[in-house]
Amino acid sequence: MQRKENETPQGQAASVLVEFLEVAITAVVFLKGVYPSGAFERRRYMNVVVQRARHPQLRYYIHATVSGLLPFLQKGMVDRVAVVFFNTDNVPLEKFIFKLTVNQSYGSSVEGVDLQISLRSFLAKLSVSESLTKKLPPDCRWEITGNFQLLPETGTSKEANFWIPTDTKQWEQPLFITPIRSMSSDPLCLQFYIEHPSLSESSVLREGNSEL
Amino acid sequence: MDSRLSNSSSSNHHSNSKKRKKNATANNANQKTLGVAWGSKSLSASCSSRKSPFSDFSSYMAHKNCKLQNQFDSEASASAARNTIFSGVSIFVDGFTVPSSQELRGYMLKYGGRFENYFSRHCVTHIICSNLPDSKVKNIRAFSAGLPVVKPTWILDSIAANRLLSWVPYQLEQVASNQPKLSAFFTLKSSKMSEDTSTNALCQVEPDVEDSFPRVGQLKERHPSEAGEMVEVCRQISNESNDISSKKTDVFMMEEPISERVICDEEKLAEANSSETNNERNTEGELDPTYQEPSTSVSIPCSDNQNVHQFPSSEATGSSKQCHSTLTDPNFVENYFKNSRLHFIGTWRQRYRKRFPTLSTGLNNGISNSNKSDINSVILHVDMDCFFVSVVIRDKPALLDKPVAVCHSNNSKGTSEISSANYPARSYGIRAGMFVRDAKALCPHLVTFPYNFEAYEEAVSCDEAFLDFTDAMVEDPELLASSIRKEIYETTRCTASAGIGGNMLMARIATRTAKPNGQCYITPERVDDHLNQLPVDALPGIGYVLQEKLKKQSVHTCGQLRMISKNSLQKEYGMKTGEMLWNYSRGIDYRSVGIIQECKSIGADVNWGVRFRDMKDCEHFLINLCKEVSLRLQCCGVQGRTFTLKIKKRRKDADEPAKFMGCGDCENLTHSVTIPLATENVEILQRIVKQLLGCFYIDVKEIRGIGLHVSRLENADTSKQGTEKYTLKSWLTSGSASVKKQKYHMGHNKHNSDCANCASSHGCIHSQGSSFQIDNKILNIHVSGDPISTPPPLCQLDVEVIRNLPSEVFSELNEIYGGKLIDFIAKGKGKCESSSSLGNSLEDDAAICKEEDLPYSDPIPLNQIFSENKAMQHERVLGSGHGSCSQVTHNSNIERDDLLPSSLSQIDASVLQQIPEDLKAVILEHLPAHRAQAFCSTPAICPGRINQDSVGVDTSKNCPGTVNHALNDSLRAGNLPSWMDKFKDSSCLRKLREIYHRSGFNSQLSSVLPQFLSEFHHLDLTQEIYDETVNIMCELLKQYVKVKIERDIEEIYICFRLLKRFAVKSQFFSRVYNDIFPFLQAAVDDNYGGSLFMP
Repeated sequence: MQRKENETPQGQAASVLVEFLEVAITAVVFLKGVYPSGAFERRRYMNVVVQRARHPQLRYYIHATVSGLLPFLQKGMVDRVAVVFFNTDNVPLEKFIFKLTVNQSYGSSVEGVDLQISLRSFLAKLSVSESLTKKLPPDCRWEITGNFQLLPETGTSKEANFWIPTDTKQWEQPLFITPIRSMSSDPLCLQFYIEHPSLSESSVLREGNSEL
Repeated sequence: MDSRLSNSSSSNHHSNSKKRKKNATANNANQKTLGVAWGSKSLSASCSSRKSPFSDFSSYMAHKNCKLQNQFDSEASASAARNTIFSGVSIFVDGFTVPSSQELRGYMLKYGGRFENYFSRHCVTHIICSNLPDSKVKNIRAFSAGLPVVKPTWILDSIAANRLLSWVPYQLEQVASNQPKLSAFFTLKSSKMSEDTSTNALCQVEPDVEDSFPRVGQLKERHPSEAGEMVEVCRQISNESNDISSKKTDVFMMEEPISERVICDEEKLAEANSSETNNERNTEGELDPTYQEPSTSVSIPCSDNQNVHQFPSSEATGSSKQCHSTLTDPNFVENYFKNSRLHFIGTWRQRYRKRFPTLSTGLNNGISNSNKSDINSVILHVDMDCFFVSVVIRDKPALLDKPVAVCHSNNSKGTSEISSANYPARSYGIRAGMFVRDAKALCPHLVTFPYNFEAYEEAVSCDEAFLDFTDAMVEDPELLASSIRKEIYETTRCTASAGIGGNMLMARIATRTAKPNGQCYITPERVDDHLNQLPVDALPGIGYVLQEKLKKQSVHTCGQLRMISKNSLQKEYGMKTGEMLWNYSRGIDYRSVGIIQECKSIGADVNWGVRFRDMKDCEHFLINLCKEVSLRLQCCGVQGRTFTLKIKKRRKDADEPAKFMGCGDCENLTHSVTIPLATENVEILQRIVKQLLGCFYIDVKEIRGIGLHVSRLENADTSKQGTEKYTLKSWLTSGSASVKKQKYHMGHNKHNSDCANCASSHGCIHSQGSSFQIDNKILNIHVSGDPISTPPPLCQLDVEVIRNLPSEVFSELNEIYGGKLIDFIAKGKGKCESSSSLGNSLEDDAAICKEEDLPYSDPIPLNQIFSENKAMQHERVLGSGHGSCSQVTHNSNIERDDLLPSSLSQIDASVLQQIPEDLKAVILEHLPAHRAQAFCSTPAICPGRINQDSVGVDTSKNCPGTVNHALNDSLRAGNLPSWMDKFKDSSCLRKLREIYHRSGFNSQLSSVLPQFLSEFHHLDLTQEIYDETVNIMCELLKQYVKVKIERDIEEIYICFRLLKRFAVKSQFFSRVYNDIFPFLQAAVDDNYGGSLFMP
């Protein structure tokens, strides 16, 4: 947990967050059962039982992706991070969204511990949230996407080049969200919810927007 | 039923007997809770009726308990507990735990606590368990008798922290989850600690080579054979040449596991061609196996201990006045390791890994011992010729033929030791390990150089390597060897020798023959010839001591050694050494190239320059040593549980040692301690070491050397590598078996909070009257008031709550806060008054409230016990609104808790008077003591009054202040002055505000809503108020949505799901819900681009 002294609170929060996201994304992937449960091993993170991918490539993918977010998180450029599950036609079936707001003007230092405690509740809640989610068809795939508030200019920074536009199709119909957990502790505000299309839902109350 | 009765009866008897024996527990008895009261009541009733059948058993139990106590006491006194972390703590372990109950018992023995085999309310202070069956969770009070139910980690963490930690954060989740506020309240403060204990570095073990060496005790040994040949001293060290100019790794030699064909082939290709096609990547990948250590066991001199002999006194300046002892140099430890050659070699492997952090992981998978039986294996051993010297003189061609040595000092009188001498020097008889002054005597024109570690690192990291090319199908191993040597020379301008043999031993012996700058191939046929004449000390692993012993048996060569049977060798020298001797003398070496040795311990020894004047010096030194060791642990990414402190103590009659600042003739003393939780933390380390030092009872002036070693290493993850290593430090091994799904998530239970508070009986009892109003806070304060836990900071206290506390509780709290509480209250009062401008209306409210309460405060019978009709109860609930929170919570109270009323106000005295004398006695007896008193002192008061009074008083006290707080709290979130104003007018929404302030500081609507909704449900409203109320309610919710939507959608979600649920039952809420829903969805859409999914 040694953090550099001269780090900004945003930087500190971001590095805790990156760690957390890695765990949480793994937890989501585990929860959805994309891989057999044997592909994961039990670990403890912030004293909560979590899963960790056994396969080095899977682990690397998650790790590298969220690590790649770090510089943008620090700048507060990331709007949300999504774990998208989609079928073979690239049509998303369910999205797990981490919507983040990093308060850039927050000045005082961050108690990493407090932040961790807040984040821990996400993991705990996630582990019991299976009933909120939908069953996935057998051969679905998934990816991690990041929604940036503004597109980082490719070429300006090395990190930006790692990010490519996603191929995943957008939903035509209005979508529904099911909140899982929210947290707001300066400088970080984090919302975690599920987005899913409302196909099966009869009571569509309004026109969907097409922001995504 | 029978068995249950017998159980409880036995425990009762037992506790009684204990009470007689131990007066110390008397104060515990006062805190008897209702759960126990009920339990004991049932049994006392049963006992009175069936006394005789149980008397035997209970006396048996009493005896058994007594005996167990005595056993524990004697064991505790035997272990001479130095530490009394747990004094006053007495645990009872329920069910399966990790660590086991026996281990826990051990810890309690060791750290001054008590351990109870049988549960008793009077003796036990904490219940330790990892998991509870549902039945026990449901009836937690009956199970725990109000005692804290704590996870075993509490004990471990307390030991690790060396102080008694608050148990609150360690409360069993199953129990604690019922109390979300409580735990949230405390975890913040204690989380630092838990983080400490929970963080664990994970990464691959990268054994610190130096330290992983088998400890061999003190080997007083001259340095083996040729100076340049560090083979004997260190270990197999791979040789990796680095082109100095281009800094590109071109050539390398390495040991290679035989089973890794791919790599072997690759390497063979690369090397056979003598090409420079090996790019760095290749090298990196293949270097991995070179880090293997041989399984040299006993007699390779432990570098640490050899420091004495090999570590020359001071730097090249040779000034012995520049005293590098612990006396003068505050940074002694760092400098020591900075200048230590052996340390340099020892940690080389680690540095190397750092240089190539991307080592492919797949490489060390396939290691096998298949070459054990492989007769035709061919091993190549390459060793640089007098490496240290070669590096120094390669740029000084003039010195090529002159005798040159490397050592710390060039003072001709120095007692510095020569670590390496070139061949011309060796011809004078100069050997490694020799004192400089002796060497100078032998060869006056000897040129000495100081170490130049940078150059060594730059040139080649270290100077020897093994290569197994059994499978490589090399036709002529000699040809390959010569091409490797040629390449080395071209790139490093240092010469190397190579030996080829059937195994590592033979290859090494061959190299020895080949030196300098030659090569030698010992074919399997020639092994016997070669070994016959070989002096025994040429065998690796035979050092000075062993050689002397062998000499006594007149064994000088391997041939002679072979004459001795294996059995007698093993008898004489121990199983391992004996077998090694037997094998080596026959040229048998089962070691396979490239087995990773797990490192067993990590540590650091300083045996040179250690002189202390007083304890302070010594402690300062130890702190630095701890830092060093902690750093090494961190480097390897491991944590240890056993800590061993080794001290070299000057022998009584020993003179100042010949070697300057050396350790001389010493006794070796060790003490070690094992802690339950592995650590690398430097502070813990320092504390442990200090403790250990205390065990020695030694005069610090006599200390000549200190070593600290950490063993029982644990590492979290062997697959974590390189850069990844520290990023996820806090991932832990899933060692603990107490893992369970957290069914009881805090967020889920918010609406349960009140029943939970009742369910866990700590504290509550003390607040008399209708204790519900202040339940949460009382609970918090109470628990925090517990001497073992830390009280929350003053600023977090609710003034109103404090003021309303019973005087004895208040004074107790005041004590805890060191008297500051009074000031705090005074301040709070001022604030309160200033804000009381908020209005008369509040007071009006209070008055109304009072009035409203009055009609309902009918005599309430002892309903739970005598299965009172529900109707009465309903009324009471409705009416008072204070006595208990809501129907929902109240009912669940009844279900899950004991059957006695939780406070006197719930007892109807008239009913009490009606019941038979004996029964009444029992009930009174089991009411907590002070309540019974209260009851007795007010016998004259008519039944109804009790209830009435308490409720009335509470209402009037509570209303003005707390409402303000609740208000402030809710306003904090957003600018909502409007909704509270509106509330003043609406009689029904006043209720909401009441509940709101009842729940203390909680600004979350979702936690207040369920109570409100359930109460509101019963209110009848006239039509005109109805519309208005709907509007106000909608407005409130709208405001709330606006405030929360952006940052806390979960809260909104919970609120609206609650609302929806009640909309089914109540027309009012159905209207509110329908009115507000479009607004909600629009707001969600604005912020999240979707609509809230309401199942």
